[in-house]
Amino acid sequence: MSGKRTYDEDDDFSESSNSSGYDDDLDDPLFGSSKKTKTLTVAKRKPNEKVAEEVSSMDHLAHLPTGYVPDVVSKMFHRHDFSYLELKPDHASRPLWISPSDGRIILESFSPLAEQAQDFLVTIAEPVSRPSHIHEYRITAYSLYAAVSVGLETADIIAVLNRLSKVPVAESIINFIESATVSYGKVKLVLKHNRYFVESPQADILQMLLKDPVIGALRVDSANLTSSNGLTTAKAPTQGGLVIPGTKPGESSDNVEDIYAAVVGEKAAQEEEDDDDAFDAVHSFEISNDSVEVVKKRCQEIDYPVLEEYDFRNDQRNPDLDIDLKPSTQIRPYQEKSLSKMFGNGRARSGIIVLPCGAGKTLVGITAACTIRKSVIVLCTSSVSVMQWRQQFLQWCTIQPENVAVFTSDNKEMFRTEAGLVVSTYSMVANTRNRSHDSQKVMDFLTSREWGFIILDEVHVVPAAMFRRVVTTIAAHAKLGLTATLVREDDKISDLNFLIGPKLYEANWMDLAQKGHIANVQCAEVWCPMTSEFYQEYLRESARKRMLLYIMNPTKFQACQFLIHYHEKRGDKIIVFADNVYALQEYALKLGKPFIYGGTPQQERMNILQNFQYNDQVNTIFLSKVGDTSIDLPEATCLIQISSHYGSRRQEAQRLGRILRAKRRNDEGFNAFFYSLVSKDTQEMYYSTKRQAFLVDQGYAFKVITHLHGMETLPNLAYASARERRELLQEVLLKNEDAAGLEVGDDADNSSIARKDGLKRAQQSSAGQKKAKAQRTAGSLASLAGGEDMAYVEYTGNKNKELKEHHPLIQKMYYKKGKK
Amino acid sequence: MCCGCCSFPAILSLYAVCTNTSDKPATCLSIFRLLPSLAKFYVTSMIFNEKRVLVQDFDSWINSNGKMEKAEAIRALKALHLIKENNSIAVLNPVFRTSFRLVLTGSESENSFGVVCEASDTHKVDVDFLDKYAANKWETILHFMVGTELEEIPNQAVLTLLRHSGLMIGKTPNAMKITNEGFQFLLQDVNAQLWALLLQYLRMAETLQMDPVDVLNFIFMLGSLELGKDYSLSTLNETQVNMVSDLRDYGLIYQRKSTSRRFYPTRLATTLTSDASTLRTASAAMNKAIERAKDRSASNVSFENAGTIIIETNFKLYAYTNSPLQIAILNLFVHLKQRFANLVTGQITRESIRNALLNGITAEQIITYLETHAHPQMIKSAEEQLGKRLETGEQTNTSLEILQPTIKDQIKLWQLELDRIVAFEGSLFTDFSSLEEYEMLRKYSEEIGCLLWSDNNKKKMFVTEEGKLQVISYAKRHFTKRP
Amino acid sequence: MVRVITGSLVECDPSIRALILQIDSTEHDIVIQELDDTHLLIDKSKVEYVKTMLNKLLAANTYNPLDDEENNDH
Repeated sequence: MSGKRTYDEDDDFSESSNSSGYDDDLDDPLFGSSKKTKTLTVAKRKPNEKVAEEVSSMDHLAHLPTGYVPDVVSKMFHRHDFSYLELKPDHASRPLWISPSDGRIILESFSPLAEQAQDFLVTIAEPVSRPSHIHEYRITAYSLYAAVSVGLETADIIAVLNRLSKVPVAESIINFIESATVSYGKVKLVLKHNRYFVESPQADILQMLLKDPVIGALRVDSANLTSSNGLTTAKAPTQGGLVIPGTKPGESSDNVEDIYAAVVGEKAAQEEEDDDDAFDAVHSFEISNDSVEVVKKRCQEIDYPVLEEYDFRNDQRNPDLDIDLKPSTQIRPYQEKSLSKMFGNGRARSGIIVLPCGAGKTLVGITAACTIRKSVIVLCTSSVSVMQWRQQFLQWCTIQPENVAVFTSDNKEMFRTEAGLVVSTYSMVANTRNRSHDSQKVMDFLTSREWGFIILDEVHVVPAAMFRRVVTTIAAHAKLGLTATLVREDDKISDLNFLIGPKLYEANWMDLAQKGHIANVQCAEVWCPMTSEFYQEYLRESARKRMLLYIMNPTKFQACQFLIHYHEKRGDKIIVFADNVYALQEYALKLGKPFIYGGTPQQERMNILQNFQYNDQVNTIFLSKVGDTSIDLPEATCLIQISSHYGSRRQEAQRLGRILRAKRRNDEGFNAFFYSLVSKDTQEMYYSTKRQAFLVDQGYAFKVITHLHGMETLPNLAYASARERRELLQEVLLKNEDAAGLEVGDDADNSSIARKDGLKRAQQSSAGQKKAKAQRTAGSLASLAGGEDMAYVEYTGNKNKELKEHHPLIQKMYYKKGKK
Repeated sequence: MCCGCCSFPAILSLYAVCTNTSDKPATCLSIFRLLPSLAKFYVTSMIFNEKRVLVQDFDSWINSNGKMEKAEAIRALKALHLIKENNSIAVLNPVFRTSFRLVLTGSESENSFGVVCEASDTHKVDVDFLDKYAANKWETILHFMVGTELEEIPNQAVLTLLRHSGLMIGKTPNAMKITNEGFQFLLQDVNAQLWALLLQYLRMAETLQMDPVDVLNFIFMLGSLELGKDYSLSTLNETQVNMVSDLRDYGLIYQRKSTSRRFYPTRLATTLTSDASTLRTASAAMNKAIERAKDRSASNVSFENAGTIIIETNFKLYAYTNSPLQIAILNLFVHLKQRFANLVTGQITRESIRNALLNGITAEQIITYLETHAHPQMIKSAEEQLGKRLETGEQTNTSLEILQPTIKDQIKLWQLELDRIVAFEGSLFTDFSSLEEYEMLRKYSEEIGCLLWSDNNKKKMFVTEEGKLQVISYAKRHFTKRP
Repeated sequence: MVRVITGSLVECDPSIRALILQIDSTEHDIVIQELDDTHLLIDKSKVEYVKTMLNKLLAANTYNPLDDEENNDH
């Protein structure tokens, strides 16, 4: 390693502006309209536009059944008075209601049937909110796609819903389920004995495909197996003896039949099984390797999207990888549950597993790799997490170090064995220009091989274009996306759906916290009044400067100082998050705490992180967006957020995730703390509540703290005098507007995407502003939420040097050790 | 016993109107029923007891924990003139004693318990009918208060009563709006609501030259009538006959036509002085009665008397109810979304709470409503939380928190937000020629209590609109003397 | 000579005061005198208007979960 970093080879893009990634929360004028898509309306890009009908587009009363007389309060609900749906006689023992108009499901979590119902609902519907008592789910086209892909059938879905519901499942819902599932999941693309087969349980669908001019021509005539209808018929795949490592066979309680048995009763399940033997045959025809892409594309065009399944047990072409979980490795029930969705029929389904940060996503990925036992490639968002993935593989399973390679700007050695594991970052793989010789060599290696399995970490943060490139350049049979938050209502989720596969599993945060798998967290929003001087300037300034003023509000600084002092005294380890680099430095330097941002060199990062972990003199660190994901610090027990990315619910969830795996989580009465500091009467209040929405729907409660007792009397309180506050204000006012910008990654590719995107957005947002709903105060919210162009301010390599001039204290603490 | 505690003050005031203890046995019985239990005990101990009772004896009848209760009982008995103290001898009011003895021995002959019609009614109605009739009448009033769109609004007399009692304001029926007191009123159980309105009725009666004693006696009589029987108007005096038409409007009485000579008391009337008045709403009372009558074996969980509301930390609200009235009440401060046969869903938002606050409902009232109507699951988890807190030795908070503190806090914060600006009309006094003049006027304004703000350095002060003229004339008197 | 100015005394925290001044800077004729950090003298006929405007400004800083939801629902 020469030590010279070429511009194209920086690993991290996680600091990049979210606007080019899968951000959920930008009120993007581009996508604004799609957000208004009705739930039951299948989104534009969905394959089956035919079902795109509004279910209850009828007149106010027209939808009411004849004979039902609305009462005096009916009107208050507009079209959402469903009291005409008669309760079933034993409704008290059934746990849910289904709304006929929007597919919303309301579930009593205290019902004796709730647990089974939740298992079922998370498979067929999107969880909307899961607090203490009443949960809400929503049936959408995507969720049904996911349900079908794990093997549920239309009739099962409707039957189980009907069994669980207190009221009859409305006709509109039945129609919707039927129309959304009619063509989904019916066609599978299976790689078997190194040959590709198009497979379906329904012969008529395959007949239809064969009549298609494009697909029909691509069929390969397999030998004599073919029956009269031109199809090969075989028994449907079953889990058939496949045991997921770390689990005991037969213990997995999550296949469809079991869910069905649990809610329908044994008898019905029995009948179901009897049917199985007679019914579950699959038919298939073969296509050649070269035509796979064409067939996939064509199937999608004609509304029969193919599900990809990898019959890895019958893949003899790709060499096996010698990998297994160590006997000491234990996997938890919910990890097992998520894996059983992936391997339910003995093959590997591609898809996404959603687990909160700290709930052991990595181990899920590793276990999946140990099940498939073929060459694996893992892509993550930063070089720090590359090292963490590598280390975890070695820790949890038997893979030998010589079989493990990492591909980063510092490491370009590949494994020399037949099969192996590679860990890299998205940007290393997606980058197309100016590759160094070494890295080109590695890329050739990666693209020339066939991979059994690809693990895509933190799928929600990857910019769409980069993501597509990765998925298309690397040939992998099974794809597993991992994330903590797939935020919904985002059209871009559809990209993930079709690039990787459907969501296979989404864990319940509160449930995991109650069972001690993740830490209990006390969340608080601390209101920091703006000082008069700051507030007057705030009202006068441009939107960008406003941001700087509310971040640098002296009261907020004092609150931060006070909380650090308080929690350090309690023995907590504290991470302070600031998106804004200027604020990050100001705060950290003034308080004499180490900080890490995008420009911090790798060695220094490691140094600081290690000190935070092992040095009891270093109890607080400041992190920029680089710390949002993937930096794993189980020592941390307290988070303080001083600035953040507008209303990003995803970021909020990820930051909270930093303390969910706190080492001390199982101590008696242990609580981790999450503080969000917001300047009162500013836009930050709006964003703060919006950011919390996802976590609040998971059952977290944010306590509002309007006053920190004892703050005024804290010794050495910063900005205690009016003079200091004035000086700070002057300094902030003198700052260039750019200082208000958020940190941006220095990946060439990424920032060019960002810049282009930003330009487009800037134009769009100025055009769209008049319509934008968020135009509350002088249009500034709308423009801020749209990202304007401010998010694309770059901090390139040069910034590094500026920051080298660390506070003397930090110099002393870190660089001394570094020099030795 | 709910009745004694919640409606006692109302009875007290009602009774205070009567100068002398009533000799009507029905009234005596009603009053007796409404007494706190210890007071009842004292009365029964003395009613047939010919021996003297010393005041100290009251102490000996109770154990040492009952001091508070005793004081309360004695206070009530004295306030109602039921006992007197003579040289530390307690004497039961002789009029009451005589009448009450008549009640107990059943030898009452004065028709104070009403006279059942002898001739059978050709239009006889059953209890079921009466229950529906009463619920409809009473709930119409409550619906009107919460602003539900109604086909038929309560009649003028009821509206006047609502206005007089300060439960609603607004001149025309369309403009009438619920007040803070009105909302408080809705939060009470139906029995307390009835008493509150009847008390108000009594006050109005006086101005209409109705004899309050007649009014009271009639009300107490209603409390001792039997549900399902029809009574004759013949034994009623003129005031009381007039009352029948008013009480009809409240649903206490059913009368087929205004000229009819018979009336039926409804359940609202007959439970007026009963102990079993833990009925939350009129419909709950009816449902309870109907359920009891119809289906004893039904395994359906009835939420009518248990709490109904679940509110989550994401401010989503779920109420197990199909009562239009409860839904209408929720609509006062919840953004309602969906309704099923036994559930409504909604969300508490800044706007929904703000609307309620602007209508005069307080944050405290909303919180109380949510707490008193909390679903058993809410209470269960609150108890679990409390248990955990006590276990971990957290001493700071040992009370049961039915609502998540964040919910309470947020509702209160929305109220505080409304209070962030306070405006007073008045006048600013400025440009004083000397500090003395300023001081003099400031002092004067302060003395007459109209000074709202002053600044000694700037020599400026602000006085209320009411005090303005007085301050000006004071200034004229004192300042003009100078050249 | 003493001057008497009729108006409304507004008592509020400094941020609200700043917001009122902000409203006044574009609409004028609202604030008659700035008294101190927490008091303003304003035209009494404008009190309700000021309250409405303040609510608008403060509401803009409040996230309403229904905004997002209703876009999906209705």
